[in-house]
Amino acid sequence: MKLEVRGLVKIFPAPPFSGGAPLRALAGASLEAGTGVTGVGGANGSGKTTLFKTLAGVLEADGGEIRAGGEPADSARLRELAAYCPPNPRSFYFRLSAAENLRFFGALAGLTAAQALDRALHLADRLKLSRPDLERRFDRLSEGTMQKVSLIRAFSRRPPILLLDEPFHGLDGLACTGLLELIAEVSRATTVLLTSHSRELMASAAHRSLRLDAGRIAGERA
Amino acid sequence: MIRLIAAFIRRDFLSEKSYRLSFALGALATLANLAVFYYIGSLFGGQLAPELEPFGTDYFTYVFTALAFFGYIGTGAGSYAGRLRQEQTQGTLEAALSTPLGILPLLAAMSAWNFLFATFELLVYALAGAVVFGIRFPAANWPAALLVFALSAACFAALGIISACFVMLFKRGNPLAWVLNNFEGLLGGVYFPVAALPWWLLAVSNLLPVTYAVRAFQLALNRGAGPAEMKGDLLALAAFNLVLLPAAVWLFGLSVRRSRRTGTLGEY
Repeated sequence: MKLEVRGLVKIFPAPPFSGGAPLRALAGASLEAGTGVTGVGGANGSGKTTLFKTLAGVLEADGGEIRAGGEPADSARLRELAAYCPPNPRSFYFRLSAAENLRFFGALAGLTAAQALDRALHLADRLKLSRPDLERRFDRLSEGTMQKVSLIRAFSRRPPILLLDEPFHGLDGLACTGLLELIAEVSRATTVLLTSHSRELMASAAHRSLRLDAGRIAGERA
Repeated sequence: MIRLIAAFIRRDFLSEKSYRLSFALGALATLANLAVFYYIGSLFGGQLAPELEPFGTDYFTYVFTALAFFGYIGTGAGSYAGRLRQEQTQGTLEAALSTPLGILPLLAAMSAWNFLFATFELLVYALAGAVVFGIRFPAANWPAALLVFALSAACFAALGIISACFVMLFKRGNPLAWVLNNFEGLLGGVYFPVAALPWWLLAVSNLLPVTYAVRAFQLALNRGAGPAEMKGDLLALAAFNLVLLPAAVWLFGLSVRRSRRTGTLGEY
């Protein structure tokens, strides 16, 4: 699915009566991405996470236009089309097992319990997540294992647009290889955008990459 | 929708069950409340106060019924804000709202577990009321009571959703919850009939849906009043629902949208 972004603006207002200034996180970002993997690089604070959250419909843009498949896409439409894997893998219910978490978030995305479990098992295998870890309570998992669960949550939706924010964070070598293979496989039919501070991993995963600087796309490397 | 509600109930049940002591204490609290009823009953027995005459019942039966009823409908008022706050602090709200989940299904499912547990408590109260305290409602008009129950529960759920808007926007500091927690019991006729209040407090009491809900429920249960006899109270509750329900859904949608704009969905 073709994703077209024109002049995207996102401003976070300062907290009321704080005396602070609003933060212009996206200052007219424009990009195009189609089926395949597009990397988005940039320094800390350059706007990568804000860009991804806006493209996922988690945040509402303050300006600019997003089109998906040639049609204008508002935040509600983007939430239907895109799955977002955040850079922090802790947005789960800690007292529930990884499998129960995936079952719950699967239901929010419209999956049946059987579908969610099936997909979780298949993806766990690809990402080298063991069955006992899948059944373990989430707060007992290591940070890297949490990241695998977070990736499974995003991949299992099988969306037309997949936004992976620092997907390699905390993963061991085997899981990184598994993830690279999975991204390559999925990207044949999916528009995948990913960020990574590792140039090697970014180069391995993405056929082209964009550089974000101060909320704007500052360059592209094929 | 049913699958979604079931998913929320399963999640909340598993989560509550994992805190074993708290889960057990929660169930025990239901029994402890029964002890309070027992001592109220021993103290006041079958005494009749003039303010209770319209209801045709003694103080114990009045307060037992009102507290059990208020306990259930109060679930709607408190649980939305509570659940939302919990999602904020555990960092799951943003993840849940990154999905295609709509506002209406979210509101329908969010407090389902709380209502289920409140139903369990209500059944325990009803059973204890009948078996331990020998409370009977020979004149009860059950269909009318059920109608009052449904109207009241919807009305309080709407208030609870509006209260959750404050949590969505301000995270902490919820003036509506403060009013609901501190004044509904006092001014709504839960612990005593509102006729016992001075005229100026009675005027305030008439602005609260709980006043109409408790009075209508008591009349239906103790006097067997039908819709015709409770027309005023039922119309008031219907009017509250007509205004509050759409307003609550609209305001909640607006506050989620505002949080998406300001980027505060993930804040607590």
